Amino acid sequence: MRRWRRKAASEGSAVAEHKPVILPPPHASDDEIIARHPPIPSVATGDDSPLVIMELLQRIKVREVMRTGIIVLSRRDTLRRAQELMRKNHISGIPIAEGGRLYGIVSVDDIIRALTGGWIDDIIVKHMSTHLIVLEADMPLAFALKYFENYNYGRFPVLDKEHRLVGLISQRDITRTLLYELAVELNKLEKKTAKAEDSDSDGSSYLLREWSVVHNDLENAGKAANDIKVILRERNIDRRLTRRIAVAAYELEINICIHSHGGALTFMIADDEATIVAKDTGPGIPDVVWACQDGTSTANDWIRSLGFGAGMGLANSKRVSDRFDIQSIMGKGTTVTCKFNLKS
Amino acid sequence: MTISDVVKILEGSLVEGDAMSDRAVGLPVASDLMSDVLLVDADDILLLTSLASDQSIRTAHIVGAMGVVVHDSKPLPSTMSEVARQLKIPLVSSPLSKYESCVRLHAALAAEGGV
Repeated sequence: MRRWRRKAASEGSAVAEHKPVILPPPHASDDEIIARHPPIPSVATGDDSPLVIMELLQRIKVREVMRTGIIVLSRRDTLRRAQELMRKNHISGIPIAEGGRLYGIVSVDDIIRALTGGWIDDIIVKHMSTHLIVLEADMPLAFALKYFENYNYGRFPVLDKEHRLVGLISQRDITRTLLYELAVELNKLEKKTAKAEDSDSDGSSYLLREWSVVHNDLENAGKAANDIKVILRERNIDRRLTRRIAVAAYELEINICIHSHGGALTFMIADDEATIVAKDTGPGIPDVVWACQDGTSTANDWIRSLGFGAGMGLANSKRVSDRFDIQSIMGKGTTVTCKFNLKS
Repeated sequence: MTISDVVKILEGSLVEGDAMSDRAVGLPVASDLMSDVLLVDADDILLLTSLASDQSIRTAHIVGAMGVVVHDSKPLPSTMSEVARQLKIPLVSSPLSKYESCVRLHAALAAEGGV
């Protein structure tokens, strides 16, 4: 992961520092020419990497990036068959799998050796690579990057929890996904900036803030709700109404932290209405009606020892809200929306 | 009753909030379950808890509590007083149990005519 970040950062810096090239006069000495080429400035690395990238690498899972529907061969297929498929599909490696179970992988190197050695018509099982490094579909992308850094492979097979082959991941897949996700984040940022500027210019009471909430990070959980309370106090919102909004924000923030894979809490004020949207990336709630009842919880003892997990979070949020909505899709995530009338 | 009074009655020490020691406190609420505390619909409460964590302070801030008392002389994480300072919540440590604190504060408030 570190290597990737360094590379990306130095490329960014080179672009930022680009200046028009001024050719030295014909009579310039070597030393004069060398002096015209100062070193490229050092760049920030490691912990200075933008927070948004670090969050993306944790939030995005391997299964979201890997390629599925991949070509596979069985152990009894021939190396020639593998060669044909590689040529036709412009691929450099084929997993060998039967009934979902991975047995090995055949790469271009294996094909070249077979062609020169004269065993291209042998069955694959005799020559495939069997010492494989694999990734799990639920691993964060940060793990995948670490693997690419530690092992000199172009791709990794991806297995699910039942050890079945479900896809392949390459550095190219990761780059493509990260570029897309960064574009989405940038777009969000631009929209927020534009709205904030609108608010400043016309003096309206529009406000939009968003906080990331990280799974199991109880040290920081609650910060967003505390910020929201400060915002409401500064706007001289009624004390009791402020408490209701802050309670909903706090309960939802803690819920994301302890029950989900992570997500975000958004707070908006517009047209005399305050809205909290708590959105996470999974695992989803199988029965939202049940989950919204007092005392229903799936929290473990550790969470309970920290003062939470009594199963009152959603019920509390619903109780203090003027309008409450919850949508949940298993495997995708949950979105809870609480609305409050600021005029009442 | 002020935070200073609470410190004396509960034989405690003021860990954070010297500048807020004259802050008046209202109804004492004793709980280690923060979701319970979030249900309380009252102003200026004093939170009595055995939960020595940042979340006690954050919860107190959310409900508008005037202060937090941690019981049984529990060791406080260093971040707890830092969060208390940021959120302007006086933090008291007491050697008493929550039950003993409730009894003493009830008696003191009754004497004041507060209960």
